[in-house]
Amino acid sequence: MAHSERHEELVAAVALGMPLGADRAELEAHLAEGCAVCESLLMDMREASAALGAAVPAAAPPPDLRRRILASLGPSRGSAEPPAAPAERPASPALWRVLAAAAALLLVVVVLDDAKMRREREDLRSRTADLAGRLRTTETELAQRVLRARVLESEDVQMMLLGGQGPQPGARARVFWSPTARRGVLVASNLAQLPSDKQYELWVFHEGKPVNAGVFDPDPQGRALFESTDFPQPLAQNFAVTVEPRGGVPAPTGPIVLVGKPA
Amino acid sequence: MARVEARDADALAALYDRHGGRLLGLAQRILGAGGEAEEVVQEVFLFAWRSASAFDPARGNVLTWLMIAARSRSIDRLRARKPASRPEVRSLEEVVDPPAAPDDVEAASASRQWEGICRAAVAELPEDQRKALELAYFEGLTQQEIAERTKSPLGTVKTRVRLGLMKLRERLRPYSKGGSDGA
Repeated sequence: MAHSERHEELVAAVALGMPLGADRAELEAHLAEGCAVCESLLMDMREASAALGAAVPAAAPPPDLRRRILASLGPSRGSAEPPAAPAERPASPALWRVLAAAAALLLVVVVLDDAKMRREREDLRSRTADLAGRLRTTETELAQRVLRARVLESEDVQMMLLGGQGPQPGARARVFWSPTARRGVLVASNLAQLPSDKQYELWVFHEGKPVNAGVFDPDPQGRALFESTDFPQPLAQNFAVTVEPRGGVPAPTGPIVLVGKPA
Repeated sequence: MARVEARDADALAALYDRHGGRLLGLAQRILGAGGEAEEVVQEVFLFAWRSASAFDPARGNVLTWLMIAARSRSIDRLRARKPASRPEVRSLEEVVDPPAAPDDVEAASASRQWEGICRAAVAELPEDQRKALELAYFEGLTQQEIAERTKSPLGTVKTRVRLGLMKLRERLRPYSKGGSDGA
């Protein structure tokens, strides 16, 4: 479909981090055809949105905030070390810009409260539909797994907030699950990258015991979308995420980084 | 950022000294003064510490990356509050300006310069466009919610958002890719 003002309206909403709901499919279809105007507009409008924030005057931080932040870091090296190798990127600048634009869509954290659950659920589904159409990286696999899940379409979907623990107090997550479909989706943010021999493992608590619900990796921005199937019956009571050897283990051995609280 | 990636805590401290006040100002603008805004800043720097290897300079400068992280976490917390407890949107004058760090005057000056450029660009927008953008950015409202709050038709709000961002984009174009303070 030809580029029109309406597409620019949708790009502007995306650049501001607004949920688009049903409109997302229209923009996704338009971008899938390749629209250079929209792609460059998205990048420019993102920068323009950032200007709204940059116009706010800086504040004077309390003196102990700096100390708290530095105290919360893990082990550090005082002397300079050579920087790690740069991340791989595709050769084509155009494709890289599209990936960056699509990654920008991921930067908006999915937030729910009870009253807005349906709208945000649709937004998550349509946002992941947008990703599946655009990306050619491992993020596509995550998005496709979420698409295939019927969790978000279930009428009895429930949600639990998970809070960061132990080594990752800043991590956050939500689990959406359908007791009847026995499937769930984890949406997490602020997860640290792990060494190559480790993975995050999701546990579902069933009659007080943790049951393995699958392993996953975060994206480079520390976010994860993970679909888990075959939850035990009856209703899952709680969820947790630990750090385990890559591939997962039958019972938790590693540190807990996320655990549930009642929503 | 390569030094932050190398787990040099001094580099993260320098990043904090350079941008921490700005991130706190943004979080306070959205959440109000108090512990939550400081928690957001703490989360963002912890996130930067853990994810420095993921930062790609081709996507934009460090400050924009940090501010996007701070803004999204702030809106996250704003929406998690019960509606009755959301603070009134504070005016800019209530946020205190910091003194420049004595050994970082140049960075502070460049950052304030960019602040001034952005503030002028936003102030030049027509009132209804600026209002719509601020409701979206600082309160995380949807276009429908903005229409209800401003008692305007939905289509008008969509046009204001689109035109407002396009005007900002044009106004900032001479300064882009090098105007704002990077690390």
